[in-house]
Amino acid sequence: MYALKTLAIQYLRFIITAFGIALCLMLMLFLLAIYNGVSDASVRYVRESDADIWVLQRHAANLLRGTSLLSNRHGFMIKEVEGVKSIAPILFFTATVNVPSNTASMHLVGYDPKTGKGGPPEITEGDTLQNNSQIILDNAFAAKYKIKIGYKLPIRDDTLTVAGLSSGTNLFVIQFAFITLSEARKLLGYPAILSCFQVKVEPGFNPLTVAENIRSVSPDFAVYDKATFLKNNIHEAETGVMPLLYVVAMIGAIVLTALLSLILSVYVLEQQKDYAIMKALGAPLGFLPRIIIQQSLILAGSGLIIAILLFAPMLFAVKKLSPTISAESSVSQVLIVAAGLLTISLLSSILPLMRQRHIYPLEVFR
Amino acid sequence: MNQDNNIFTAELVEVTKIFSRSGNETVALNRVSFKAERGELVLFLGPSGSGKTTLLTLLAGLQEPSSGEVYIFGKRVQDYSPSSLQKIRASQMGFIFQTFCLLDSLRVIDNVTLVMKFAGIPEKSARRHAAECLERFGIGHLSNAFPGKLSQGEKQRVAVARAIANGSKMILADEPTGSLATEQGMAIIEFLYDSVKNDGISVVITSHDDRISKYADRVLHLRDGILI
Repeated sequence: MYALKTLAIQYLRFIITAFGIALCLMLMLFLLAIYNGVSDASVRYVRESDADIWVLQRHAANLLRGTSLLSNRHGFMIKEVEGVKSIAPILFFTATVNVPSNTASMHLVGYDPKTGKGGPPEITEGDTLQNNSQIILDNAFAAKYKIKIGYKLPIRDDTLTVAGLSSGTNLFVIQFAFITLSEARKLLGYPAILSCFQVKVEPGFNPLTVAENIRSVSPDFAVYDKATFLKNNIHEAETGVMPLLYVVAMIGAIVLTALLSLILSVYVLEQQKDYAIMKALGAPLGFLPRIIIQQSLILAGSGLIIAILLFAPMLFAVKKLSPTISAESSVSQVLIVAAGLLTISLLSSILPLMRQRHIYPLEVFR
Repeated sequence: MNQDNNIFTAELVEVTKIFSRSGNETVALNRVSFKAERGELVLFLGPSGSGKTTLLTLLAGLQEPSSGEVYIFGKRVQDYSPSSLQKIRASQMGFIFQTFCLLDSLRVIDNVTLVMKFAGIPEKSARRHAAECLERFGIGHLSNAFPGKLSQGEKQRVAVARAIANGSKMILADEPTGSLATEQGMAIIEFLYDSVKNDGISVVITSHDDRISKYADRVLHLRDGILI
């Protein structure tokens, strides 16, 4: 195959180009992995809760952004609604804490450890909360600041002991930490305040009907069934910082297209005489354009293989160096990038094809 | 035009070719008429700038005349579609250039095979036939070499093998001895002469080397675009 042979002759350039393409692809894979990881982690808390209904303050729609303030009185009202089996009060607020040789922000979640409702989706190390002087940290947060179980963490006017580490609680820009509801209220300074209620419905009751009943009790409430609330949170996660990842990935794709187009154009210029010879000798009309497209696909394919081989070790290294980066890769992401790369390969062939088209067979007679 | 394409492979009738550049017109060929017959080696002699190469490119259908008619295998060149002309060049014409014009990134055998592939010959039989052609020209042992490793004479033999491998009915050679020592050059012309006599093909050579004359069936002189 002429395309491969011309690439192989300049093997050093071929290798450098393939690695350049691989780096661009790794950037895209990485951004997609972050998107995937953060999208998943941002909503895992909601997805893995066993609540049938979430009740927040009117106008609040999700846990990620926006303020919701309710009181114990609202809890009594909800409990009286037909079909409600149990409620779990939860308090969210953001706090800055002193970590070893630094300060950091965390999204504190106050819940009742006796029921466990509203607590971390998964404990990866240590134990759940036993008393008010304990805290459960996100494992990525703990790894980043080298905090171990038993560490005394000063928060506002109190000092809490790290009892356990959780997963599925990393929101990328901030992480969840869990304390008892009473400790949360104490730290905040408002003893009867709450952010939301998780509601469990009685067996046999339709959550949508119960949600409607709760709505009718008070205009103060924003009431969501689990699916709607999950959707709200996913939407919030995806419309926050996430579009920025798409923009960066798009820039990466544009850079890759330009890089590939430039390299292919250089090959066309270098092989100008060869193309003129082949045109003069009677190369079929589609033969020469096919060479450029084949070259583009060979370069892109080589880059993709290198990227796939290097991506897993790179992800491992990034997670090791920066544990709060929540990145999850999948086969579908690789397929998306491969499909994008195919498009890029074809697009980047356009300019070289135009150059090749203007090569005149009479050049060989000069 | 005589439509009997059993005799004529190409014909120029009162062909004039004018090149315009920046408003200046240059007459490369002026009312040239010529017929290339099968089994004939025709030599066009003339100094640089006499229009020899222009004549060859017109015979190859690589450009059209400013006036007059060019016939290739009995048909007016303007009546061929681009793809038909491409097929004619690939399957019925062979080209030999002064600078050999081999593809340096391909091995010798691949250079010869490629043109046969252009002519639609399947890869396997193309390779077999290419190997036979290379053997015929005494360079079978160089099949797997790259052109960059060959001597000038060897390169031109490969070019000749490439020109005849696709079963050409007409070979167009532009200064085929121009880059060769006398002995090598004459050996190439002898190869072409043998092909004309053995295979009945038509060979048109343009050159300023009149030592080729002794092999030519006809010698035509070009000067300033005029056949004299």
